[in-house]
Amino acid sequence: MLFHEIYGRYYQVTANILKEAVRGNLTRGKLNAMIHSQAFSESILTMPENLVGSRWSLIREDLSTPLKNEPHMPLTILEKRWIKALMLDPRIRLFEPDMEAFSDVEPLFSPDMIVYYDRSAKGDDYSDPLYVSCFKTALAALREHRKLKIRWKSSSSTAAALTSHEAEAIPMYLEYAEKDDIFRITLQDEMNQLTVRISQITECEMTSVAVPPDALKLKKETRESVTFELTDFRNAKERVLSHFSHLEKETKRLDDLRYQITLKYNSSDESEMVTRILSFGPVIKVTSPESFTELIRKRIRAQLSMKNCSCDVTHAQK
Amino acid sequence: MAYSELIKNFSHVRAYLRSFYVYGFQHRSEYTQKSSRMYDNERRRVESWLGKYLTFIQDKEGRRVFISLDSRDIPQNPLFSAFRAKSFTPTDISLHFHVLDILQTENSLSITDLMNSLTARLLDFNGEILPDESTVRRKLKEYVALGLLCTGKKGRETVYSLPDSYSDLEKWNCAAAFFSEVLPMGVIGSYIQDRMAERCQFFRFRQHYILSTLDSEILYSAAQAINEKRLITYSHNNQNLKVLPQKIYIGTQTGRQYLLVWSPKRRKFSFQRTDQISNLKIDEAFDVPQDLEEKLKIYQSHAWGVTSCNNQSCTEHIEMILSIRAGEDYLLNKLINEKRCGTVEQIDETRWLFRADVYNTLEMVPWLRSFTGSILELKGSNSVVIKRFWKDLSDLANLYCSGDTGKSGEADV
Repeated sequence: MLFHEIYGRYYQVTANILKEAVRGNLTRGKLNAMIHSQAFSESILTMPENLVGSRWSLIREDLSTPLKNEPHMPLTILEKRWIKALMLDPRIRLFEPDMEAFSDVEPLFSPDMIVYYDRSAKGDDYSDPLYVSCFKTALAALREHRKLKIRWKSSSSTAAALTSHEAEAIPMYLEYAEKDDIFRITLQDEMNQLTVRISQITECEMTSVAVPPDALKLKKETRESVTFELTDFRNAKERVLSHFSHLEKETKRLDDLRYQITLKYNSSDESEMVTRILSFGPVIKVTSPESFTELIRKRIRAQLSMKNCSCDVTHAQK
Repeated sequence: MAYSELIKNFSHVRAYLRSFYVYGFQHRSEYTQKSSRMYDNERRRVESWLGKYLTFIQDKEGRRVFISLDSRDIPQNPLFSAFRAKSFTPTDISLHFHVLDILQTENSLSITDLMNSLTARLLDFNGEILPDESTVRRKLKEYVALGLLCTGKKGRETVYSLPDSYSDLEKWNCAAAFFSEVLPMGVIGSYIQDRMAERCQFFRFRQHYILSTLDSEILYSAAQAINEKRLITYSHNNQNLKVLPQKIYIGTQTGRQYLLVWSPKRRKFSFQRTDQISNLKIDEAFDVPQDLEEKLKIYQSHAWGVTSCNNQSCTEHIEMILSIRAGEDYLLNKLINEKRCGTVEQIDETRWLFRADVYNTLEMVPWLRSFTGSILELKGSNSVVIKRFWKDLSDLANLYCSGDTGKSGEADV
């Protein structure tokens, strides 16, 4: 039973309100504020009158409760089985959980049950002790709000040899790329935002420098937008919109077959966006900005110039 | 019936959430599957659950409602909220808190003692809720099945108690935060996070498809059937199917989830998109043929993606030669890392050959197109697909390079 009221928002908020009632701290103002901030946006219309009085028989009119203990719900079998499934995942090495727990239940699923059929074959190596150690240090620094000192090696498009870098900066978050099965860490110093693959880090040390809370505001990467027309043949509407559904977007129907779609993406992802848009072929026509259209054009021209490429552009519309 | 922001059945809201999130161009009048009133209610619920993520745009045809967010910016899937909207009765919620509270104080009680304690408490509220013994028994049975209660014997009497509490849950905080976003049925991980004093918010997810969580109930049943080697029945395109689920396939570049199933009737493997499955039920255990595992391995070895084909003894061959020059290592890495069941060989300093034998070369086309700009040759046994590839490229050239002159040729098929 995955969809059950015991996991529901109403039960959760009620438990929190009952905690206050058991402690003798509940007031009408507090009750309403908790519903307002913790439940759904319209819960405030019905929840208070149900909660106080005989309807749910949990809180008396004077805001006391017959409950003697702060509410506590044991873990369900479903939750234990899901946690048990995590223990079989190779990425669990990156965390320090209690691997002896829940010997009385079977995992809900196992890694061999799941196939990520279009995932890159070269994901991170979660059995590498250096990798695991760097990841754990980064996570600890995030948890403890400390600066991180790292050294890493990376290649550039111009030089064959790896070059070394180092930085001391505030860790902001760990980003996981599902398609590539890799982790990166994003850090920030006074001037720059920096993103480094965990697998490229050779040394990682948590410093004693505490990060003030106001330093944790992330400078957002510049967002670009691209607008294209989509022609819905070969089920293109479903394929394209599903593929780009993870991005902020606006979709507009132009006529029975054509749609105008505007996507926002991080500026550093531009060449990837060009490749992704090209992969849909002629069902997509980028209309703006011109700079993006030019990148597409460049790729098509490069293809047309290939020795054996055989395209007929004699019908090109003027 | 009066409007409520809670729902009894999750499947009703799946289609609306999908439409608001994936499409987002439809106006109220275009939701014709159900009544306008039902649309209004579902839209109002989604707004109540998701709040700021729901956006409205007014144009001349009316108001469009859509969910717009970049999933890379958020540590937790907002659609998990929909799973927290299950409806319940006043008796359900009253018994939940009173029974768990009584057993926190009393350790273990028989149904008679529990009823006495409950009655004493509920009479305090004028007895508006005073469930009979059979109602309480049903609730206790349900809670034992969920794992919230344990049963034991005291003499000849059955007694109920709370299970041993687990004190190390905080150690799972970051793991639950991470895996709830990347593993199937991640909403369960979000339930676990609800129990934490403070949620771990240290993770972000690139190209993260949040919609797949709506199929969690389907995957839950499918996983159970795979574990227990049971058949499942479900509706798909107005057909009722009975099959043996084998694997869960997940597309990291589409967010789609599929079941790879074996049909005992047709003696074939096929894929079913989970968002197109409804009314799934777990059926009887199936006596799995001894050679099925071997057949599955062979089938998987030629499946490029998730397209089912009728003739599973016949594959299509495809070859692509790429030009990869100095400084284009990223292209070579892409080819090697994304080749799946194909092979890659170096022909000379700048030319690389990709080869594959798959059931359906058509579904490779989007991937092949991602090498646009570097393809020297493309050959394949399915000439229709190869022709279409070059025709599409020609159409692309017409779309974008119509001002260019000088390049033309015949399709190399």
